[in-house]
Amino acid sequence: MSRRVCVIGIGHTDFNSITPDVEWKELMYESCQKAYVDAGVDPRKDIDSFITCAEDYLEGFSIFDEFVPDQIGAVLRPCCTVCGDGLYGLGTAYMQIKTGLMDVVSVESHSKISDLLTLGDILLHAFDPVFERPVTGPVERPRYGGSPEYTKEDPKPLVGSTKEKQRVHPYFLAGMEMQDYLRTSGTTEEECAEVVVKNKMNAFFNPLADYEAKISIDNVMGSEYLFSPLKRLDISPNVDGAITFVLAEEKTAKELGVDPIYLSGFGWSSETPWLSTRGMSADYATKSSQMAYKMAGITNPRKQLDIVEVDDRFSYKELQHLEAIGLARPGEAGQMLMEGELAKDGAIPTNMSGGSLGIGNCFEATGMQKALEIITQLRGHAAKRQVADAEVGLAQAWRGIPSGSGAVAVFERGGA
Amino acid sequence: MTFLEKQTDPTTPMHWNGDMQADYFYSNGVAGDKFFKHLMKKDTFLASECPKCGVIFIPPRLYCEDCFCDIPDENWMEVKSQGIIRANTTAMIDAHGDPLEEPVIMALIDIDETDGAMLGRVKTEILDMDLCGLTVKAVLRPKNEREGTMKDILYYEPY
Repeated sequence: MSRRVCVIGIGHTDFNSITPDVEWKELMYESCQKAYVDAGVDPRKDIDSFITCAEDYLEGFSIFDEFVPDQIGAVLRPCCTVCGDGLYGLGTAYMQIKTGLMDVVSVESHSKISDLLTLGDILLHAFDPVFERPVTGPVERPRYGGSPEYTKEDPKPLVGSTKEKQRVHPYFLAGMEMQDYLRTSGTTEEECAEVVVKNKMNAFFNPLADYEAKISIDNVMGSEYLFSPLKRLDISPNVDGAITFVLAEEKTAKELGVDPIYLSGFGWSSETPWLSTRGMSADYATKSSQMAYKMAGITNPRKQLDIVEVDDRFSYKELQHLEAIGLARPGEAGQMLMEGELAKDGAIPTNMSGGSLGIGNCFEATGMQKALEIITQLRGHAAKRQVADAEVGLAQAWRGIPSGSGAVAVFERGGA
Repeated sequence: MTFLEKQTDPTTPMHWNGDMQADYFYSNGVAGDKFFKHLMKKDTFLASECPKCGVIFIPPRLYCEDCFCDIPDENWMEVKSQGIIRANTTAMIDAHGDPLEEPVIMALIDIDETDGAMLGRVKTEILDMDLCGLTVKAVLRPKNEREGTMKDILYYEPY
């Protein structure tokens, strides 16, 4: 098949820790409108298929796909929702275009996580309900919202649906995995702290970022252990925002007169959900990168990739993911970081956007945020954080705690 | 933003406090029933061994995730409720982000004689952050109080 798939439009909202002035549909509308203007397309005429990526539980209502068409221009058009990270939506769009079924497809993902008052509880619901979730704390819920058992004397809690105070926060799993990573790789807590320092510094040069900061390794090391060895500053804070891409077949892109960025490789993989048998070394990233490299004809990623964005929702994840996708040898990512290899002028500029540590954790939009940075860099539009001569870039996504799923996308500039 | 009209007075945006009633009845399943019914009577765990690759699963399963084949009854076995800590963390905050009344040590425990592990809480006087390699055994509820859920395993302690 000779059809080639490219990104012809990108749009995004500002990213903010809270967005009380707008609702989630308005966030989506804004990013879509911007992407459609960027691509020069009318969604009601030019876009053949619309994809959104979301998780009902995070949205706060059921059957998310029913709520989608109006704010993205997709009423009575082919439209579907992928329950996963935005990169999975890009992969779905890739397949729709590659097969010849569609010529122009839009992909949207977003975070309105500030609407969710019980994130910890919701993420605990992603643990196995029989063998794992009960270990995190009491499973009895004395009452639930709307129950007639609530009385004036004992009213329903204002925030959240449970009064339980002893359910362990689900990020404990990241603490366990970080401990395993440090031990097996020889990486130090200080090296992980430097990931935070670097990414929050990078964020100063990205107007999209909401959590830029000038801090030191000592600041990170001095923040309290929440899930040892994971500290407060090792964890990316939450953020709201929406991102939309328009993808098209190469010929259509040329007709529209846009400068296309090619989606040349894509891969995805899911680890077993069982903590008992799954590894702690991000095998999902290894497998998905191998699939994407093969498709993109990448045989030496260290040499062929000019810029990468990997999931860094916890500091150690950046280093673990770089090793998993073959950009660092096992145990060497931390050392490469300390030697400046992951900086803008280093061998593998990593998370120049500021990553999730600098921008904020935008949940299902996280992979799209990575891809957005790669597209911006390959277009040469990254201003002060622009990596010189960036031709080929990689975006890697992980579904987050407690999942072992992820995807990788490789993008190329020009007609390579 | 793309809208012509925007909210500029921070005191005016309104919201509605919703909640989501979501309560479930989770079946333990065939393998889970077997495990928990055994645990109500004995102080040991049950595991199951794949007839093809020989991997011994705990929590036990009816099928092998690698070979995608059935694990028959005769491949189930009794194992000691003890093991070695593979990874651990001390959690300081609860699901709402508030401090836990007492820090909780969460651990993944490689169960002896198996290839699997159980998630559990650990109680110990050892102050080390890293408890990997520590041998621990399950402390179970008294038999007459067991109900056939994970709550029958109170915690693990070093032995």
